[in-house]
Amino acid sequence: MKRDYSDADIEALVAEAIAAEASTARREAHPPSSAIVWWRAQMRARAEATKAVERPLTIVHGLALAASLGLLLGIVGTAIGGLKGTIAWFAGAYASLAANGTSAAAIDFTSRWFMLPMTAMLVSVVVLSIAALVIFADE
Amino acid sequence: MADVTFLDVRRLSADDADTADVALAMDEDAFRGFYDRTSGALWGYLSRISGDRQVADDLLQESYYRLLKSTVAFESENHRRNYLYRIATNLVRDTKRTARPVFDTAVEMDDVAARDTHGNTEARQDVRRALGKLKPRERAMLWLAYANGSSHAEIADVLGLKTGSIKLLLFRARRKMAAALQR
Repeated sequence: MKRDYSDADIEALVAEAIAAEASTARREAHPPSSAIVWWRAQMRARAEATKAVERPLTIVHGLALAASLGLLLGIVGTAIGGLKGTIAWFAGAYASLAANGTSAAAIDFTSRWFMLPMTAMLVSVVVLSIAALVIFADE
Repeated sequence: MADVTFLDVRRLSADDADTADVALAMDEDAFRGFYDRTSGALWGYLSRISGDRQVADDLLQESYYRLLKSTVAFESENHRRNYLYRIATNLVRDTKRTARPVFDTAVEMDDVAARDTHGNTEARQDVRRALGKLKPRERAMLWLAYANGSSHAEIADVLGLKTGSIKLLLFRARRKMAAALQR
């Protein structure tokens, strides 16, 4: 039959058992030396510091790439739209000239589908001329 | 002066991180002294709370590393030691949640007993079996109270509980442990 223990008895029993177990555990413990643990901590902290330095650059790279891609898609979209409009304008102008013998004065040269490519070509010619001037002036 | 490119800046930053002394919460001498004074007891705590020596080995170094990386301003060695035990307790809890689904079974505590190289007495096995029947939090509480001699406030701090609840929780844990020892 089990004995009825008082709270004090129980506390003494448990305290003694845990203390004995703690004493055994201390004998069993073979932790690595403090020098090794310190060295490993240093190495790990350095590796983490290096990673932390590289992380913002990766984020910046990603953002720059996404922005460039967006810009490129925008330019391509605009260029395709402009090209279609320009082709349609030239096709219309040619058809009206060929079919009715309309004079060139009747064609709308103020249309943006004509003005835009012409302006782009003019700007390209100016920029290329300046670039050529700079390059050949150096030589 | 040579132009510095973006890649050069990146390389130099990485080199700095390699060579510079990394910021840890303690200097080497202070850490080594503290480690030598506390590591044996912490290993005992980890091995008995987790019921697994391998886990204790793994978590011991992780506990000290997290202590070194902490930004807490410690008022005393006791404060630092309690914080270390808090880290260790949380690590054991996390390990239980993730890697080891059957963590607090009597089987694992028996496994610890089976590898006891310092006299495999029946009494010692009984104590371990009894510990194995407790929940990890109850084991931790009893260990902190009777192996470390921690106060109720310190136990509450380590286990993240209210100080006022410790007396009752300890009472229940003692009863459970005593009942397991008597079986």
